[in-house]
Amino acid sequence: MKKTKKLLGALSLALLLGLIVGCGGSEDKKTTASGTDLQKIKDAGVIKVGVKEDVPNFGYMNPDTNKNEGMEPDIARLIAKELTGSEDNVEFVGVTAKTRGPLLDNGELDMVIATFTITDERKETYNFTTPYYKDEVGFLVRKDDKFTDTASLDGKTIGVVQSATTKEAIEKQAKELGVTFKYQELGSYPELKTALTSKRIDAFSVDKSILTGYVDDSTEILKDGFSPQEYGITTKKANTELNEQLNKSIEKWKQDGTLDKIYKTWNLD
Amino acid sequence: MFIIANAGPFALYRWEALFKDWRLFADAFLYTILLAIGSLIVAMLLGIFFGSLSTMHNKLLNLISRIYVEFFQNTPLLIQFIVVYYGFPLISPMLTFSTTTIAIICVGLYHGAYISEVVRSGIGAVPKGQFEAAYSQGFSYGKTMRYVVLPQAWRIMLPPLTNQIVNLIKNTSTVAIISGADVMFTANSWSSINLNYIPAFAVAGFLYFILCFPLANFARKLEENNKKAYTR
Repeated sequence: MKKTKKLLGALSLALLLGLIVGCGGSEDKKTTASGTDLQKIKDAGVIKVGVKEDVPNFGYMNPDTNKNEGMEPDIARLIAKELTGSEDNVEFVGVTAKTRGPLLDNGELDMVIATFTITDERKETYNFTTPYYKDEVGFLVRKDDKFTDTASLDGKTIGVVQSATTKEAIEKQAKELGVTFKYQELGSYPELKTALTSKRIDAFSVDKSILTGYVDDSTEILKDGFSPQEYGITTKKANTELNEQLNKSIEKWKQDGTLDKIYKTWNLD
Repeated sequence: MFIIANAGPFALYRWEALFKDWRLFADAFLYTILLAIGSLIVAMLLGIFFGSLSTMHNKLLNLISRIYVEFFQNTPLLIQFIVVYYGFPLISPMLTFSTTTIAIICVGLYHGAYISEVVRSGIGAVPKGQFEAAYSQGFSYGKTMRYVVLPQAWRIMLPPLTNQIVNLIKNTSTVAIISGADVMFTANSWSSINLNYIPAFAVAGFLYFILCFPLANFARKLEENNKKAYTR
């Protein structure tokens, strides 16, 4: 009885390991076939893009029109036109800071345009294009609390979104100013806004232009801003060809003013 | 071996990074254990209390116990967390509890309802004849329970009870949603910065497994013993 149990245990363990190795194996095959990835997208005739659905002006799912609106979906449509000939050939997939990485890895998405901040650490895992937007970190606070600048938040609880670079940026700034903060990491921006309203946190911190979408009568954005964050279009590490193509496009649109026009449409500058 | 070579999500250097930061996961593991123990105490107290209420011959007490059980069994744990975390402070600043307190109370209340049902059905499973026999020997209600019914009910209750404990341990991971630094949250938070999500969640799953597996095994063994005790 005992022996069969042990045997069963060993067997299931072996199966589990096999599963993991199996997954790893298929991963490897995909990377070796990378050269044709750009062609594959063109053949498919539709690009799958991960965008935010909860960031007004950047990537927002409008519940009235049921359409993805904002600067980032607009860029995605431009890319679709470039790659497939029509800007309607985009399939939008809503992502959060947490899901955008894994969705790229498993091939669910061709690219992510979702306020993805470029860092050296992240560059080891994914390809980033040249930045299409730059923004600094800021704080959204309740008016009643009368905070004036970053230093006045000393010892307070700062709410940041999980999987974002915000916390590191604040940490660095706090060290420079000689102050300390407590942190709460929550899953999404709306959750953070709710936490601010219910006084769970004293400040909601993320990139300033994202914050502008969440200001209301009882809250304000502090003037202070720091550590500029650069957003890039993200693709799988193996898709170098696609990355180069996107890089070229971004450079082109930067120079001919196409991007500027999009920013104006969405009140971003 | 090719997994190790490439830079995919399974790459070896990601696992190395994880073992370098083992302290983070060790702390998270301890926090999960703390939550589990805390909420288990709450759940046991509530479960025994409401379970006994429901076996008493009093309509009002039965009803109270019923309401408690039905409410917590039929609403998701996640909603209870969100309501207490975001909603309560809006009612009054006095109701602002720490993340740990919320986790222990919510998981405790939720599983208290299930344990209450385990207690009720355990006592209910003891044949009526046992009560009658005890009464006929002059035992009072309390003594009947203590010397005749509970020793038999206990045996019936134990396996489902251990299953509840396993579920309770797994459900403590809900605290991650309100920023409590347990195993789930740490895996999430740590892997989001360096994108090593495969090792992070594999290890998180493993940590829950080594907590729950021995308990689940224990429950099965108890069940086998029960079978032997009642069959000749």
